[in-house]
Amino acid sequence: MSTAAQEFLRKAAEKSADLVHRGIVRWNIDQYDTGVGRGKTRFADWDAARQRCHDIKWEAVNHLDRYLLQFEQKVKENGGHVFWAENGEEARKYICDVAARTGVKKVVKSKSMVSEEIHLAQAMEKMGIEVVETDLGEFIVQLRNEPPYHIVTPAMHLNRKQVSDLFKEKLGAAETQDPPELVAIARRWLRKSFFSAEMGISGANFLIADAGMVTITTNEGNGRLSTSVPRIQVALTGIEKVIPRLQDLATLWPTLATTGTGQPITCYNTLMGGPRRAGEVDGPEEFHVVLVDNGRSELLADIEQREILHCIRCGACINACPVFRNIGGHAYGVTYPGPIGSVLEPHLRGLKEYQHLSFASSLCGACTDVCPVHIELHHHLLHNRRNAIHEGTHSASERLGMKMFRWTMMDAGRFSFFGSLGRTALRMIHGMGLAGTALDPMRPWTKDRAAPAMPRESFRDLWRKQNGVH
Amino acid sequence: MASTDNPSRERILGRIRAAVQTTAPHHDGPAGPMFAPVTDPLDRFQKECVANITECTVTADAAASAAALASVLASVPPGEVFVQDAPDLRALVTAVKDGRPLRWSSEGPPNEASQATITLCEALVAQTGSVLVSAANGGRQATVIAPVHIVFARLSQLVPDLEAAFARVYERGIASKNSYVCLITGSSRTADIEKILIMGAHGPRRLIVVLEKTG
Repeated sequence: MSTAAQEFLRKAAEKSADLVHRGIVRWNIDQYDTGVGRGKTRFADWDAARQRCHDIKWEAVNHLDRYLLQFEQKVKENGGHVFWAENGEEARKYICDVAARTGVKKVVKSKSMVSEEIHLAQAMEKMGIEVVETDLGEFIVQLRNEPPYHIVTPAMHLNRKQVSDLFKEKLGAAETQDPPELVAIARRWLRKSFFSAEMGISGANFLIADAGMVTITTNEGNGRLSTSVPRIQVALTGIEKVIPRLQDLATLWPTLATTGTGQPITCYNTLMGGPRRAGEVDGPEEFHVVLVDNGRSELLADIEQREILHCIRCGACINACPVFRNIGGHAYGVTYPGPIGSVLEPHLRGLKEYQHLSFASSLCGACTDVCPVHIELHHHLLHNRRNAIHEGTHSASERLGMKMFRWTMMDAGRFSFFGSLGRTALRMIHGMGLAGTALDPMRPWTKDRAAPAMPRESFRDLWRKQNGVH
Repeated sequence: MASTDNPSRERILGRIRAAVQTTAPHHDGPAGPMFAPVTDPLDRFQKECVANITECTVTADAAASAAALASVLASVPPGEVFVQDAPDLRALVTAVKDGRPLRWSSEGPPNEASQATITLCEALVAQTGSVLVSAANGGRQATVIAPVHIVFARLSQLVPDLEAAFARVYERGIASKNSYVCLITGSSRTADIEKILIMGAHGPRRLIVVLEKTG
């Protein structure tokens, strides 16, 4: 088992037994579910919306070269720069070089999951640049030295008391458990940063090929300030974010808002296509778009799994996932938690080390049901499992175990014999009060839970008795 | 200027081109309209404003608009107001005679401490109760920086839905003429702490639309 897998199991066990944590996450997701339910009623046909989103992303992803080139050409025509990065290292180097050349001392960041993926902030901090996260949830987790807990709601795991304690400790703020006052504290603190930073870094929800524009979606307005005030603007994103046309947003904006937060449309949907033009009142002097590949073009080459690149990062699958609801966002130990992460991360970080994420699922399909772009998430979890087996990355003991399992299952007599043996043994062990101890083969389950009583008869025995047939 | 040419671009494009030689299967489903058509745009716009917490006042003429603006400004604490330099707003603000210091967009971007900003817009969208602004509406900061953002619009600017809004964006070249376009729906908000909705995170706490029925 890989180190990452061992760490995952340890954290998952710890978090699923943390009842306070579960309570907070359940409350958040209940609120989300209510909002999304209400949001969907605004659509005459929700399935038609999902279909249109799928059509747009399918068109873009299956003609990715054409749309990226169109996007690049438009951005250049408008005085912007486009940099293509093979991996995190190239993207970090490009952005750090721009910062060094333009004398940047402070950066304000609005939400960008790709910046988490490539560990951008850490690289800039090493250069002596101060990096300030400006989305409230991101700001909170940054103060805690934590990665985002969730791709849409980064501080979902914290309650107001924890936020108050944090602001008191790190910002010297007065203690308050009044949420509006907590928001006001962050607003006052971050205002200073917006007006002293030389560089603003954002992600991109979409790149619009026919307009050569980047669009970001925020409620707080931090994304707008980050891209309006500083003199250097950088948009950092994955190559799969391009869409063909501006009017595609008439479909994508309301759908993303509905599955992201349950809103009819997010407060601020901003489009930016370059630096300040002649005659404009304000805006950045330089505009850079950094397109990150980092494994995405290899995923594109996999026809079976290509549609993973359709993801619009709304977080619906994460919220729907019973695994996430129990273990939370940090236990995964990767940038993208939940089903989309369990599908995507093994591609970004290597199947050998991260295959366990694709195995940590009950395959219930709740993720697939809620996906607004129709990604068959639970099938992709299975594809990853199969690919992991074909690559021979599983251990010898696991291979032997599966062989024995197969041998048992292929014969009714053997199945019956081992079933009976197992029930009898467990009845004896549990009968001696050894449930949950090291002598209990069911220990992974019984160490935290009551052991179910083992019946004397199997289902087949009962069936035979009641129906008198085999 | 840093060069944007690098060998990675060709390598990435090469892999993409090779990959998309084969097209992935397409999922087929219902192709009908996503939304019911908006039949009464003005009524819908007003209802959506109530839902998204935009203060919308519909006025009959220039005098009524000036009165509406005066009443809004009376509720704003003393201090500078930033105004998009446009003939319509010059006329409106002159009619209000509020007496507070004004800064026009022709003088440069707004001061951080502006108490309110007054701008025009590119369009209003009935379906979502949204205001479409661009860099032409006083710049990027004008519509986000102050605690109060007041928009003056005319009924001819109201379009029924997002599809119509984008049709207008193409028709008038809004996205090609401006480096910045923003669809604003309600005032700034966050629900990052316990999913509790708080107004006025980083942008305006109040969004006010004065919608004049003339023109």
